[in-house]
Amino acid sequence: MKNSVSREKLTLVNELIYEIKINDAMTKKVVFFTKDATFRQIQLKLKEKKISGVPIIDHQKNILGIVSIDDVISAFDKGYVDEKVKNYMTTNVITVPKNFSIISAIHKLEKYKIGRLPVIESLNNKKLKGIITISDILNRLLIVTQSIAEKIEDKEIKNFQRSKKLIDATAQKIFKFDVRGDDFNNAGQAASITKKYFKGLGIEKDIIRRIAIICYEAEMNICLHSLGGTILVRIDQQNNAIICASDKGPGIPDVDLALTPGYTTASEKIRALGFGAGMGLPNIKNFADKLVITSSLKTGTELKAIVNLGVKK
Amino acid sequence: MKLSQIVKKCQLEKIVFSVDEEISSGYSGDLMSDVMANARANSIWITIQAHKNSIAVALIKDIKAILFTNNVSIGQEVVEKAKEEDIILLRTKKDSFTVSGEIYSMMEDKTAKD
Repeated sequence: MKNSVSREKLTLVNELIYEIKINDAMTKKVVFFTKDATFRQIQLKLKEKKISGVPIIDHQKNILGIVSIDDVISAFDKGYVDEKVKNYMTTNVITVPKNFSIISAIHKLEKYKIGRLPVIESLNNKKLKGIITISDILNRLLIVTQSIAEKIEDKEIKNFQRSKKLIDATAQKIFKFDVRGDDFNNAGQAASITKKYFKGLGIEKDIIRRIAIICYEAEMNICLHSLGGTILVRIDQQNNAIICASDKGPGIPDVDLALTPGYTTASEKIRALGFGAGMGLPNIKNFADKLVITSSLKTGTELKAIVNLGVKK
Repeated sequence: MKLSQIVKKCQLEKIVFSVDEEISSGYSGDLMSDVMANARANSIWITIQAHKNSIAVALIKDIKAILFTNNVSIGQEVVEKAKEEDIILLRTKKDSFTVSGEIYSMMEDKTAKD
């Protein structure tokens, strides 16, 4: 961890050590003793479990001290190995609360040059909840990074399946909706059906919403301003949604002017219903990746809007 | 915030109320294209436009509930369409400004508590 070069490269780990809570990394099954245990009892346990220290707790599981292998050696050396630990144990225990991030455990382990840290309930509650070592921390980091990697893999597989579905759909489906002029009550159908269809393909919500808005506005335009027409929706080979709206006239004299926000030719009646605010075409323009409008006063208007579906080919 | 909380606090009339949806924001407006462009999903829409196209707009924008203000009359075909599409319809005598303010402050309070 001291090597600054490798630390720079480990940006994900650097984030994770702040995110992962000690509670999720620590060992919850802890070997512990009460203050009436002898050093010899502890020494046998340390040997059996191959550990290098145990916390000493009271009857409420509050942590009172800690006895390490060094303390046991001293006890042998000075001849009190069969005495109770209560008079000799380290009572000034370094602990860490379970809801802290593992970064605080790492800091304490480094700062006090110790191998394990008893974990307590909170700063005000010394109840023993577990124990954490550097290997617990590394273990948890590996598990979390692995699950992140798996999620990324999953997403790629899904994307692939989705695009396959799309290409299949391209071959089959072209939606065609007839829109009558002045037929308010049924307007909105094309947008609704189109939305449901793309939802079924598993396209991202925001993209579906953009397609639906474009369909709706195009539909309303045919309904409000023309003699009737059709809307065609299809998906091209590049996985774009293509929305084509064409009408039978009367045509737009000045397309640029019609694209100006607020410009409208709508009647009072239409405006009273909340339409004709001069926002339809500007909305389409805003939500489409590409928009082409051709209009003739003889044959009517054709609008083609393209929205990229955000799916790899 | 649950819709039922808003209904209770603002004393709204339930016209169509199937599921007690969770609402995360609101939008006030009577221009369809404006609502189309700006309303957010899972929201309540406050408007005086009580016709079938309002339901279509709500559906496309994933608006959960429409609140009609000024006690506007609502046609039977609008009610039927809302039932069919699972859009919640509410009504109040209050105007859009007043009721938007009420709902806004409820949501602010909620966020502050969270």
